[in-house]
Amino acid sequence: MAANPDTPLFNRTRQAREAEVMLNKLIDEFDDNPASMHYFYDLFRRLFIQGEKVAHPPGAQIGITCIQAPEELIRAVGAIPIRLCNGAYHYDQIGADLMPAKSCSLVKATLGRLHDHEQGVPRVGKLEAIINPSTCDQKKKAGVMMEELGYQVHDLEFPNVKESEPARIYWQRTVRELAVTLQRLTGRRVTRKNLNTAMARTRRAQMAFRALHNLRRKAPSLILGKDVFLITNAYFFDDLERWTSAVEALVAELKQRQQNGFNAAQKKAPRILFTGSPPVFPNLKLPLLIEEAGGVVVADETCSANRMLYDLPAVDEWRVNHMIDALADHYLKPCTCPIFTRNDDRRRRLLDLARDFAADGVVYQAFSGCQVYEMEQRSVARTLQEAGIPMLYVETDYSPDDMGQLSTRIEAFLESIKTRKRQARTQRA
Amino acid sequence: MIRSARWVDRIDLQRFRFWVQLTAFVLLVYGGYLALDLGSQLPIFSCGYNREGRAGVCYLLPLQHQLARPWTQLFSFAGIGLLTGFATFLLWFIVLNKGWCGFICPLGTLQDWLTAIRKRLGIRYSLYGERTFNRLSWVKFVLLALLLLIPLGIGGGFWSHDWGAPFCQICPGRVILPLFTGDPEQLTVDFSSVGTTLLTGGGMFIAGLFIAGSFFKKRFFCFFCPMSALHYLIAKPALLKLKKEGAKCTKCGNCFNVCDMEIRAIADDIERTEIMTDDCTLCLKCVAACPEPGALKVEFARINIFEATEDGFLKRMNQGAPRDGSKP
Ligand code: SF4
Ligand code: SF4
Ligand code: SF4
Ligand code: SF4
Repeated sequence: MAANPDTPLFNRTRQAREAEVMLNKLIDEFDDNPASMHYFYDLFRRLFIQGEKVAHPPGAQIGITCIQAPEELIRAVGAIPIRLCNGAYHYDQIGADLMPAKSCSLVKATLGRLHDHEQGVPRVGKLEAIINPSTCDQKKKAGVMMEELGYQVHDLEFPNVKESEPARIYWQRTVRELAVTLQRLTGRRVTRKNLNTAMARTRRAQMAFRALHNLRRKAPSLILGKDVFLITNAYFFDDLERWTSAVEALVAELKQRQQNGFNAAQKKAPRILFTGSPPVFPNLKLPLLIEEAGGVVVADETCSANRMLYDLPAVDEWRVNHMIDALADHYLKPCTCPIFTRNDDRRRRLLDLARDFAADGVVYQAFSGCQVYEMEQRSVARTLQEAGIPMLYVETDYSPDDMGQLSTRIEAFLESIKTRKRQARTQRA
Repeated sequence: MIRSARWVDRIDLQRFRFWVQLTAFVLLVYGGYLALDLGSQLPIFSCGYNREGRAGVCYLLPLQHQLARPWTQLFSFAGIGLLTGFATFLLWFIVLNKGWCGFICPLGTLQDWLTAIRKRLGIRYSLYGERTFNRLSWVKFVLLALLLLIPLGIGGGFWSHDWGAPFCQICPGRVILPLFTGDPEQLTVDFSSVGTTLLTGGGMFIAGLFIAGSFFKKRFFCFFCPMSALHYLIAKPALLKLKKEGAKCTKCGNCFNVCDMEIRAIADDIERTEIMTDDCTLCLKCVAACPEPGALKVEFARINIFEATEDGFLKRMNQGAPRDGSKP
């Protein structure tokens, strides 16, 4: 692929090297990558290593810092949502100058990326505004810092209780106000027609994701988790239709694989359910280590993948007001984000996924400094333990320094799962 | 999933329901002209005051009359009539459970038609909201208790017969349904005594409220319906069941969002497997709006006849908007 002419030295930057090391590992250390994955490998190579600009049809680009910002509304007014959550250690270090040292890598990296308006990767061009849902404390406070960096920030007031009716009403009002803000920003009104189109587009993408998700139930595995994380990461910034078509093509290929009795993982590979702080490229180190060590990530409960794309909204009467309210409910009610007071739904979801995907164990990633995920560790561990599902809790950040130590722990964890399974088998025999 | 369940999943449930409701309405309100007679123990508001056209009578009418017999009779031969009447009512009810409300009841159907008119006019719906819902959900049980106790009191000689069939006097069915056969007789206030004036005056007022209310609020009246309260009390042996599997539910709230009766428990209750609540009309809209395979299910005599599926959900949502306005 030809280097991008307007950034000749780009691939020498630390950012590009970091991305390249990760991408090469994700591709080269595994045989039998699905052919349809090349769309995504190529996309990441072009954007993160060669520094190409993300190609989008014309339209205002609106940054979002969390999945809680209703993307259908943004698309309805003809704008393009770009999820800004960043996974680069390089940007984490730049962001460290803006945030306290013990902050979460993801928030720091997101700020660090925004620090570089023009060349920050992925390069998306001018951001008309940033929608910053008031979720965890660090993201909340990061909003003002983004403003100081020169961005127009719209704080999206998000309740931290989700069960109560007042919270629901409050959030519905927030979302309605967002519609007004977006109208002001773009000069286009949210209408029944354009919102319906936007919802149908997102729905198609979500159904493609669900098809992929459902195929991961199969044993032997048809695809590795590292690839699925790449795919869902691409959703952050890729063109919606291009992304959806690429996923649909992949799904077709995986169905073919299934017919051929293909196994993407090793025989008897422990099946892992991934939860906690979201893996975002290039920080796919934990999923990578799991699969390098012979496990296979079969499902996840993270906001960079499953939680972002799984849940589907329903509308009763297709009038704009009711559609917006239904969208608001959809972004609040099924959400299993740890910033809420209670985490019953998250624990139920994990049990359901573990059962449904026949997971042998759970890997729980918490970014150091992410208090909410750290605090939920105990209750989640207890729930899983009661269900007889082993869990490995990993506190880490974007630095590659702990990879050696982590790989030892992961290998031990997978080994213990295999031993358990062996024992269970001999006991049965 | 069995074949019939797949079939139900593929058809357009709302359209199917519309036609069932229309057919039932025509049969029940005009069937009498064809000498159709389904008896007088129907578990729905097929109003007995629609004397010409009715094809069967709402059980509340004979029930209130029977209970108003003098106690000496009630506790001897009239008691047998009461019991056989109730048994017939129960048999009818058991087949469809509250599905009678969602699919058959003429008064329920009327409310859905008012909703359809509002939709066409492009007017938004109103909701009771959680506080009002909780504050008012016992009203139907009080109405039921009164419609049982007042006739008993008449039979015991405590009240005059002016208070006979008290619920019928205030029931919107009495005022409205006879109008469909061109009979405006009930559109009056009976000034013969204080009791009848109060009750029939109240009836007129409630009929007006019924029309205005159900125009803005889906199934406005069902929320207060004592028949629905009676249903709930005897629902245990019913054959048609709404089931929920809590473990599969993400609490996304879709089902609650589309529920005409604003039943929160349908989304939030993950413990109960029998999820039909006292307000439910078994309209099955919730099942159609649930994207989680198997989270909501409809069973008939323990056979799964309809359940939430991804494909069904997708089909229904994709169809949703474009047809709005052209849909009945
Ligand atoms: S007035 Fe109401 S309760 Fe009485 S028979 Fe008619 S529909 Fe039934
Ligand atoms: S609840 Fe509604 S549908 Fe059911 S009997 Fe009463 S009026 Fe009819
Ligand atoms: S629609 Fe289904 S998944 Fe969503 S809350 Fe209702 S039952 Fe649960
Ligand atoms: S709970 Fe379901 S079946 Fe019952 S009234 Fe609501 S939508 Fe209809």
